[in-house]
Amino acid sequence: MDLVRKGFGENRAIIVSVLATIVAVIIFQAINPFFLSPQGRITLVYSSAYFLIAAVGLTFVMLTGSFDFSVVAQVKLAAMLCALYVDWLGPWVVVVAILVCGLIGVTNGVLTAVLRVPSFLATLAMSVFIEGVALYLSRGFLHVVRDRFLRNLAVRFVGGLPMVFYWALAVWIVAVLVAKYTRFGRRLYALGGNVTAAELSGINVARDRILAFAICGVLAGLAGVLYIGQYGGGSIEMGATMMIPLFASVVAGGTALTGGVGGPQGTILGVIVVTWIQAGLQMLGVASDIQLVVFAIIAILMSIVTVDRSKGSIVT
Amino acid sequence: MSLMERHHSNVDLRQRIKVPPVVWMLLFFLVVFTLLFPDRFLTPLSLSAMLGEFVTIILFALGPSIVAVVGSMDMTFLGIWMLGGILWWYLSPILGPAAVLVLPLLGLFTGWLVGTLLVRARAPSFILTLCLTALYAGLTARLAGGYPRLIRGFDFLTARVMPVVPTELLWSLPLILLAIGLMRWTPLGVRLRAVGSNQEGARLAGVNADRYRVIAFTLSGLLSGLGAIIQVKHLGGSVPLGLDMQMLVAPLVAIVLGGTLFTGGAGGPERTLLGTLAYVVLYRGLYTSFLRPETLEVLVGLVLVGAVIFASRGLKGVKVT
Repeated sequence: MDLVRKGFGENRAIIVSVLATIVAVIIFQAINPFFLSPQGRITLVYSSAYFLIAAVGLTFVMLTGSFDFSVVAQVKLAAMLCALYVDWLGPWVVVVAILVCGLIGVTNGVLTAVLRVPSFLATLAMSVFIEGVALYLSRGFLHVVRDRFLRNLAVRFVGGLPMVFYWALAVWIVAVLVAKYTRFGRRLYALGGNVTAAELSGINVARDRILAFAICGVLAGLAGVLYIGQYGGGSIEMGATMMIPLFASVVAGGTALTGGVGGPQGTILGVIVVTWIQAGLQMLGVASDIQLVVFAIIAILMSIVTVDRSKGSIVT
Repeated sequence: MSLMERHHSNVDLRQRIKVPPVVWMLLFFLVVFTLLFPDRFLTPLSLSAMLGEFVTIILFALGPSIVAVVGSMDMTFLGIWMLGGILWWYLSPILGPAAVLVLPLLGLFTGWLVGTLLVRARAPSFILTLCLTALYAGLTARLAGGYPRLIRGFDFLTARVMPVVPTELLWSLPLILLAIGLMRWTPLGVRLRAVGSNQEGARLAGVNADRYRVIAFTLSGLLSGLGAIIQVKHLGGSVPLGLDMQMLVAPLVAIVLGGTLFTGGAGGPERTLLGTLAYVVLYRGLYTSFLRPETLEVLVGLVLVGAVIFASRGLKGVKVT
């Protein structure tokens, strides 16, 4: 019994997520039988795949105990770069977009780890800057992508599911392997758990933090590329409305804002919960304003559930 | 006077006349833009616009700068303004002019709720308050039913009484003075500063840190709620139905420019006042330069990044996450 209780205590967030997923699926399936039909499944894949990639990136930053507000802006910028320059650069635009976001990630990391700006503040400022650049490049116009290569990257069907599904799956598997089985991954847990102890045991904290932010940037870039491939352009209406579900899915997956616990293996569950609830609410005809309320509540509740209270009384 | 004493008195003097960097920044912007655009920058029209922008930002930034002193972040000001504004509209037919009280009450409740959640559940404030603002924005859109709603009455808040100076500014002055006075000249202000600069030290000196955190958030909520009354009328008598990131960020920039970082202990509303002035002058100056609005956004972003780096330079040795 004690073992059960201990297991529950350690994996509380994941258990809550699994239960929430099952309950949500049963409810939505009961109300709308199309929910799990092949067409319904494809819709779900489309709404969760690029989202999972961005969420996995954010997970790495949150593991170190930092936060990245600029993920959504980076996704937006990468999508915008692809739309604007695909005719000029061809397939290379993908590399450029991902590299640019990687560089932004490195900048975020340097701001936090070297210049010691609190991460939420640094990335909030960066996010305004990136949005400004995106607006500057696009001049506020709508851009449509017709390039076959870029579209096929996301929407070509393989084995009944669009390519974007396999990209997301691959990113997730690699991320889990990196977090669980590489030295770098273990160092992230160490410095997220106790940064002073990590430093004293010889970990180059600044380098690993910058790397975590860089991974987040690269994945945000990939998410942006797939996003534009999937939707083919249009006005990119993101911002706070995407940030809240994104954050909610990472914390719902068991990664605490305080760092050191959780990881990408849980994030996939969080993303499934969040996008399925989102899709379910849409199918039920619930307006987007109430969806925002729902995700805000999930985010608040899950950050309270996951937060690591053993870290003394320091709150920010 | 011994050498030591003289040294001390020199340090004292230097500390007393030490001008915060934001003042130099403000003067620099003023001089540069006046020289660059002598016939466009300091016109009555431009001054009036600057003061109007000042009101918008300072009303949002007052509360959060108190919370920043205790080392937390409060982004509920936007949510309080939006939801409070729409509740004001919603309740006006039922309660009449008394409906306006819903704003300070909502502010008070929100501040208390955030403070309590923070000290009980230990969830970081920036995410808690951001999520709460998103929640309020969703409720606002729902209550408004998809249309921006015009709130009638209370026109005395915006009716012009003198040239150039917007009346809203006059109404905001008591709030500004209240915030500054509370933080500078009351024991409460001293304790809040103590909690923000050294929590353990404050605890050993008999200050209940958690209690003062809740007080700081409640005070911030109340100030945001009171300010929102003026803000609603100031910004055209209605509230937007969607979350505007720019509006969320501008007051935070003003706080950071003023020299209050969200890590606690230093700064306060009086510094935010200067930070807001600097931000407003810079923004207006760039605006006067006929740069394309897109270019403006990039520059504002760059200034913002520069400002947070500049303001964080004192954080050596502090654990930063």
